[in-house]
Amino acid sequence: MPARRWLPGVVARLLPGLLAGLLALATLPLSSAVAEAPDEGGPLTVLSWGGAYERAQRRALFTPFTEATGMAVEAARYHGGLSDLRRAVAENAVPWDLIDMTRSEAMAACAEGLLEPLPADLAAPAPDGTPAAEDFLPGALGRCAISHSIFATVVAYRRDAFPGRRPTRIADLFDQERFPGPRALQRTPAANLEWALLSYRIPREALYRLLSTRRGLDLAFARLRGLDEIHWWQAGETPVEWLAEGKVVMASGYNGRFFAAMVERDLPIEILWDGQLQEHETWVIPRGAPNPVAARDFIRFATSSERQAELARHIPYGPARRSAAIQVTTHRDSGLDMRLHIPTHPLNAQGAVTKDEAWYARTQERIAALFREALLEE
Amino acid sequence: MDSPLAFGPKVRRVLAIWRFLGLVLLGALIGGVAALAAVGFVNAVVWLNDLLLISPRGRMMAADPGLVVLATLLVPTLGGLVVGQLHRGLPDGRPHTPADAIAAVQTRRGRLPARAGGLSALSGLVSLGAGASVGQYGPLVHLGATLGSQAARLLRLGRSEDNITIACGVAAAIAAAFNAPLAGIVFAHEVVLRHYALRAFAPVAAAAIVGHVLATQWLAQGALFHIADPAVPRPWEFALFLVLGGLGALVAGAYMHAILGMGRLAKRLPLPVSLRPALAGALLGLTALWVPDILGMGQETLRFATLAGAYGGGELLLVLGLKLAATALCLGLGFAGGVFSPALVIGTLFGALIGTLVAGLGGAQETFIFYAVCGMVAVTAPVIGAPLTTLLIVFELTGSYALTTAALASVTLASPLAAQLFGRSLFDIQLAQRGLDLSAGRGRAVLKEVRLAELISQDAVTLAPETPLERAISRLSRAGHGEAYRVDGEGRYRGCVTLADLEAHREAGAARTLADCPETPRPVLGPQASLWEAMHQLQRVTGEAIAVVDDEERFLGVAYESSIARAFLHHSDALRREEHGAG
Repeated sequence: MPARRWLPGVVARLLPGLLAGLLALATLPLSSAVAEAPDEGGPLTVLSWGGAYERAQRRALFTPFTEATGMAVEAARYHGGLSDLRRAVAENAVPWDLIDMTRSEAMAACAEGLLEPLPADLAAPAPDGTPAAEDFLPGALGRCAISHSIFATVVAYRRDAFPGRRPTRIADLFDQERFPGPRALQRTPAANLEWALLSYRIPREALYRLLSTRRGLDLAFARLRGLDEIHWWQAGETPVEWLAEGKVVMASGYNGRFFAAMVERDLPIEILWDGQLQEHETWVIPRGAPNPVAARDFIRFATSSERQAELARHIPYGPARRSAAIQVTTHRDSGLDMRLHIPTHPLNAQGAVTKDEAWYARTQERIAALFREALLEE
Repeated sequence: MDSPLAFGPKVRRVLAIWRFLGLVLLGALIGGVAALAAVGFVNAVVWLNDLLLISPRGRMMAADPGLVVLATLLVPTLGGLVVGQLHRGLPDGRPHTPADAIAAVQTRRGRLPARAGGLSALSGLVSLGAGASVGQYGPLVHLGATLGSQAARLLRLGRSEDNITIACGVAAAIAAAFNAPLAGIVFAHEVVLRHYALRAFAPVAAAAIVGHVLATQWLAQGALFHIADPAVPRPWEFALFLVLGGLGALVAGAYMHAILGMGRLAKRLPLPVSLRPALAGALLGLTALWVPDILGMGQETLRFATLAGAYGGGELLLVLGLKLAATALCLGLGFAGGVFSPALVIGTLFGALIGTLVAGLGGAQETFIFYAVCGMVAVTAPVIGAPLTTLLIVFELTGSYALTTAALASVTLASPLAAQLFGRSLFDIQLAQRGLDLSAGRGRAVLKEVRLAELISQDAVTLAPETPLERAISRLSRAGHGEAYRVDGEGRYRGCVTLADLEAHREAGAARTLADCPETPRPVLGPQASLWEAMHQLQRVTGEAIAVVDDEERFLGVAYESSIARAFLHHSDALRREEHGAG
């Protein structure tokens, strides 16, 4: 689907300046090779999402990378969005070498020229020699980004909040009669709009077509406004904390965080897999990164089958390459079978929605503005 | 077919079974080709709509609002220009539709031309891609029918087989486009074949199954609508569904007559035929700036209309009226496309309007979807003349028995009422206006299609008017005929005289030449007169034959009563074999 959808837009944009584009493509490797400064040295700075996710990355990726290369890895905290990156690139003072970015934002950033294009042969082949292009999931290898994990935004709820009942469908998120109590939702349109429209029993195949109309957006906003008490979160760890404190009874969040809370902290929460919004998480190198050579080394290291399978043993994200997915076994700490906790497992994926990242990449700003106007500015 | 070879009955039966199996296999093959064509067509329309900023998705993804406005105005207009040029390459200057396929089967003329079929499909694709308010299933049905007919031509099969292969193509196209194989099979029988024979059923079913399987593989679009366990309506609501059906018939009538009326109006426009679609496109684009819901097939509009609260009551009425007008404008002014998809949208909007009214009067909100679906069925079934197909589409797309029974209630009144008031379907009305009346069934249609010219015999006594009476009598006696035809020196017909009359005149001594004898009244028909008319003439007059005379009164020959009766029996027998044969 994305490939088919993408083609017209790409063709349409390229057609007028086709010659100019070809010219630019032809001169690009040369000019960037000339312009590229050598690495400044010092630690590699990775902009990532903090919390359990960052801890898992440190154990499965950062520390092993330091052991292999002798180069330290420091993590900075990322909250999503492109405004910081845009500013940093404009001021020519990019402090990060790598960003762990969602694919939709990577697409938008790549189109804006905020990212370094990646060489086509950057990802290593599978251990059995299968080329990376065949081993990775469709759409995982982009011009500026390589997908490493499939994560899901899901709804989790406190097991003790609704005695004798448990939510089974995403529409239950909006059913405050049967499932009373405050909700926590992310302060972004993504996932919220999809779930709101799904609650009208719209099939997932039609979601983005309907969200493309003012009428569909209004229906989604109306559903969200119908909720009594919404707490908006921004940092990925917040919904877990609010659920733990009992501030909310249902919260959206990343499946990996909820897993960590259930397994490591033994919190009484459960994941509602219906309606899970699957997304690709990618590695990108910002334009003007201090250590671009080491950053590329890191991407090749971190996207290898071995490291990907290892990451999925710390945090339940589905590896983006098949050779890694089949190696996933038990959780490093608890011994749980991780295959049951990754979003791409067939049992969990029944009601899954694949985020239409091409759609978001092109509409992000406008949709976000409408979302703010409809729900946040009151 | 009627091979006079002297095989034993056993051998003949084995041969017939092989022949039949071959036909089933051919049906499956045609089904595969037609389904692939349908899938390609549907995907191409989606692709074009996204690219040309017609679909909501394409419009939303275009960052520049000015570009969207420009596309809304220009794309349908330019699309209309292209369609107008394409239609210049068609024999009668209009795109072919399912009505042409129906006519081919019902009159056993068979053979849908490849060029007209291909050009019609192409102009349908351009029309839909450019956002004209027309349907996609009409072009798909005709494309499937043409592919089926071409397969029969390639294999040099007979007329009966040609009809079956046409039905196979139609069934596969519907099965693939809706992902509804049962509806495909029933549509082919209900609308195209209009009879049920096991001989046709098996190949048609094979085609529909292949179409269904291919569509599940390659058609990435979701179900047209999707309803998870809807609430059960209360008993009294079924009475409302029935009434809704009756009102839906009126909406269907308004829709059909708007299309036909716009077609008549278009003929009076001081604008070349090839420029008319562009005018429709420009008007459509201009209106769509205000109400974009009317652009294209309207799948999003259809979906929203099934949701309670997506439209207000006034909005429903506005969009319904505009969609109806836009479709009439597009089809009337010559865009190529079907009538089914817009009817689905209009019907659903109408049902939603009734549902909103009922909810406003204290009815239940949770059965809103029932009203929307009942309205959809009540308007669509009369337009295409296919109540069973429409019901099956609801059943196969929703998998809901409750919804299907409600739809049955509404179609119970809608279809017969509309048939009484307006005609069996829009196709039938259009064909009747072109001179093919299918209201009395296929038997009459076939007889009306056989031309008297095919039955002309030159074995008749023709005499110049100045022939002496004596000679005329002796010529007639020697030829063994009882009637002679007077033909003057320029070959013009001058009436018929019988041997008995001539004898009477000779005895009376009143006449010297043939010209002096009064004419015996006998029917005269042109060569283009049908077998049906000839049969009617013979009911009134007894005589040997009917004189066939062209427009300039030139005598062409005669059609003997016996050859007319033989032709009648031959065609009735062919129909009987086709409609009742098992293999």
